[in-house]
Amino acid sequence: MISQLSVFVDNRPGSMANITEALSEAGYNIRAFATFDTPEFGILRLVVDKPTEAKEFLTSKGFVVRVQEVIGAELKDERGSLNYMLRKLADGNVNINYIYSFVIRSGKAPVMVLHTGETKEALKLLNEAKVTLVNDDEL
Amino acid sequence: MTAIPKEQWKERIRDPKIECASRDEMTALQSERLVETVKRVYENVEFYRKKMDDLGVLPGDIKGIEDIGKLPFTTKEDLRDHYPFKLLAVPNERIARVQGTSGTTGKLTVVPYTQRDVDIWGECVARALTMAGLTKEDRIHICYGYGLFTGGMGLDLGVQALGAMAIPMSSGNTKRQMTCMEDFEATAFACTPSYALHLAESMVEEGVVDRLKIRAGIHGAEPWTQEMRKKIESILHINCFDIYGLCEISGPGVAMDCIHQKGLHVYEDYFYPEVLNPVTHEACADGETGELVFTTLMKEALPLLRYRTKDLTDITHGTCDCGRTLPRISKFRGRTDDMKVIRGVNVFPTQVETALLAMGTVAPHYLLIVERENNLDVLTVMVEVDEHYFSDEIRKLDELKTKVGNVLKAALGVSVRVKLVEPKTIERSEGKAKRVIDKRDLS
Ligand SMILES: [Zn+2]
Repeated sequence: MISQLSVFVDNRPGSMANITEALSEAGYNIRAFATFDTPEFGILRLVVDKPTEAKEFLTSKGFVVRVQEVIGAELKDERGSLNYMLRKLADGNVNINYIYSFVIRSGKAPVMVLHTGETKEALKLLNEAKVTLVNDDEL
Repeated sequence: MTAIPKEQWKERIRDPKIECASRDEMTALQSERLVETVKRVYENVEFYRKKMDDLGVLPGDIKGIEDIGKLPFTTKEDLRDHYPFKLLAVPNERIARVQGTSGTTGKLTVVPYTQRDVDIWGECVARALTMAGLTKEDRIHICYGYGLFTGGMGLDLGVQALGAMAIPMSSGNTKRQMTCMEDFEATAFACTPSYALHLAESMVEEGVVDRLKIRAGIHGAEPWTQEMRKKIESILHINCFDIYGLCEISGPGVAMDCIHQKGLHVYEDYFYPEVLNPVTHEACADGETGELVFTTLMKEALPLLRYRTKDLTDITHGTCDCGRTLPRISKFRGRTDDMKVIRGVNVFPTQVETALLAMGTVAPHYLLIVERENNLDVLTVMVEVDEHYFSDEIRKLDELKTKVGNVLKAALGVSVRVKLVEPKTIERSEGKAKRVIDKRDLS
């Protein structure tokens, strides 16, 4: 599993940059990044190195942050691999709340980040489907 | 420090003869003082002479406090119309100082004091500080503004009268407030409740809470809720007290609540309180809500008869658990000035605060915005999201928004648009909290 940070942001210019700026100034590496927004507010989801420390840091800067355990699944670099994984989960009746991909992992296979209410079931299905799972320490 | 539970509280009463007087003793004192005040204003203030003549009331008709209903009212507009010194009841050279307020309309109300008025003001605040358990051993950090506003000066006078040590910080510069509070080993602090909360939060951020010697907070000058009090008390581990006053009557120290929090004890030997039905102006029974009206019983420079505060409250007589017989007024149900009429419904900011806190999840930082769209009033409530209920899922945040909207609609009787915003987006005031912005152009 991967510890992901979710940060509440207003939907206005600069609100995302405020967070990424704070993190990079403090020397944290952002490895995956996705936003989900409504017209008024959004949630910025981040995978960083040292997530516990980074959460404390962001909280001290006045951001509202939550740590969420999400699944990291390696994609084989071949046609249809994303579809293959999603199909396996769908057939197993697992509903995915959200999914996004890693920014860069030089020389390594791409990783998808996904969150579901049925984590146990999803992990079982992915294992059966021989999808490689990635943990915090392997990033 | 640690808050003292009610059961272990040692009550201190500065003037037991007055604060614990029997009803008969108090009535006699008030009657004597009212008769004298009426005579003095009739002789010295043209405004009151005319008003009494119009009502056909002569000073001789006022034989005791029971005749107070015969006297004319005074309003804030009357004070403004006689700006700055046209209601003065003493010769000019007897004015020792002035204080004032800019109010919501920006027009200045100025209040002159003789030296005796100033002394009595300080005495009332000293009684209030004693009610908060403070003695001459204490160090009181005052972060109310100093200046025309009565907050800073009033507390300062009270600390002097008590013989304690004043730390006259005035408002603003939170960092320096924290440094001085710690370095000077303040044992109590006084400021508006919203600033107290802001300070408390900042202290947590800076990690200084455990190094402070503070055990009491004296807060007033704006409406606040029980929940806000609990929040400040639990963050700082102190006892908080609610002080009330208005510059027209004197300043802070007109009323104050004791550890039992059964309403604010009014210093009725100096300020006679009436609670009146806002429409009929008949006296309300104890416990019945009406407009709070004050008559000053000892003021020299600016004595006021039946001054209408526009604050809605109720009054209770009878002995309090603290031993005082001074009547108690409830926390205000609202102020006609803050009240917004939205689609014909009266809305008070305090209702919003109470409703939000009753949900148990939302921090008390909110702002009401009233706008007019296509000739229809629209009420938006901006609410700061906090860690306790922030969810990683948009769907849950949307549910929260809907829930807040429903709770507020039920509480206020009008539909509300809810906007969730980042923490610390809503400005924290260092003076009076801004809870409502009215953008309607009704001219
Ligand atoms: Zn009491």
